[in-house]
Amino acid sequence: MAKLVLAAGVPHPPRLVYEMVQSPGKMRGEALMKQVREQVEKAEPDLIIEVDSDHFVNFFYNNLPAFCVGMAEEAEGPQETWCPMPRYRVRGHVPMAKALLRHGMNAKFDLAAAHELRLDHSLVVPLHFLNPSMELPVIPIYTNGFASPLPLATRCFALGGLLRRFIEAWEGKERVALIASGCFAMDVGGPLRGWTDTEWVETISRLLLQGKYQTLARRATEERINAAGNNSGELLNWITVTGAVGKTKPLFLEGDEGSGYAVWKFD
Amino acid sequence: MSVYQINKILYLTDNDGNFRKRMKEEPQSVLKEFRLSDEERDALISGAVGKLYQMGVHTFLLNHLYRYELFGVNRDNYLSRIREGMDYDPRFEQGNMPVQRFVKQ
Repeated sequence: MAKLVLAAGVPHPPRLVYEMVQSPGKMRGEALMKQVREQVEKAEPDLIIEVDSDHFVNFFYNNLPAFCVGMAEEAEGPQETWCPMPRYRVRGHVPMAKALLRHGMNAKFDLAAAHELRLDHSLVVPLHFLNPSMELPVIPIYTNGFASPLPLATRCFALGGLLRRFIEAWEGKERVALIASGCFAMDVGGPLRGWTDTEWVETISRLLLQGKYQTLARRATEERINAAGNNSGELLNWITVTGAVGKTKPLFLEGDEGSGYAVWKFD
Repeated sequence: MSVYQINKILYLTDNDGNFRKRMKEEPQSVLKEFRLSDEERDALISGAVGKLYQMGVHTFLLNHLYRYELFGVNRDNYLSRIREGMDYDPRFEQGNMPVQRFVKQ
């Protein structure tokens, strides 16, 4: 059986990549990403499962699954021409992704599957920092964090549990890192851009630090998420990951005004 | 209402280079290929971000108006335009920073 060796969450601001090049060593996000990367390196994973919400690059309203497994052998991104960062080719892990799809179906979790992927910045920015050589294969798990109606946070939590059971049932010996991409709460390009819902961010941070993951999942209704800004559905990716960590509490957690960085270790 | 069509126009603008080129060069003719009401077409052509927002166009897709500087929308006027028609909200004071300047390629 494979083993979950680390879980983490990081945001994916493309400007961080760009601004770090302009003025290295000055960005708080740079130091926090480095902190997460050091833990990822220590955990020596063979594979990353990344839980992310596509920003209308791979999916659109014509066909928008609540949950989807990335089955592609490889994919490129970020595809957005406005995104100021390097382009990468990311390898997938088709046998394991296929097995996950089957595992989900058998457990009555009817995930969608995408055999071709156009990666957006939200998938690639965390990998730029945490898998910089792109050596590790990546299985993307997409949650619909943006196009209402959102999947229930409690359902995302259940998906995390499914991921953990799948990892432990998988025939290989891989050491798996499970990474959530996204912020706790933020508005990017909505009318409240620049405002942070401090109360909600502090609530999320506190519940995560206390290991009260199910309480967080119950409180993270779509209404509460939307009240915190148009980008706040990315919390669903964090909640998915907490569904996999069991009773383990985070090794470290930083709310960083809504951005959110954390690591859980299992060794 | 065909908010889906507006969302689609903005989605294609970001994801399809040829479509984007046409949107820059002959937007009026491109819009004719979509089923838009007069109100929707007028809102797009006049860059009425606030109106499009009230209609339910997704904010992530509205962002492409300033990113690609379509219909007179740019990073400096985007925020004030999306707030048009909204009551004053003290939270606006925290969010008056200009939207991100992207690197043109």
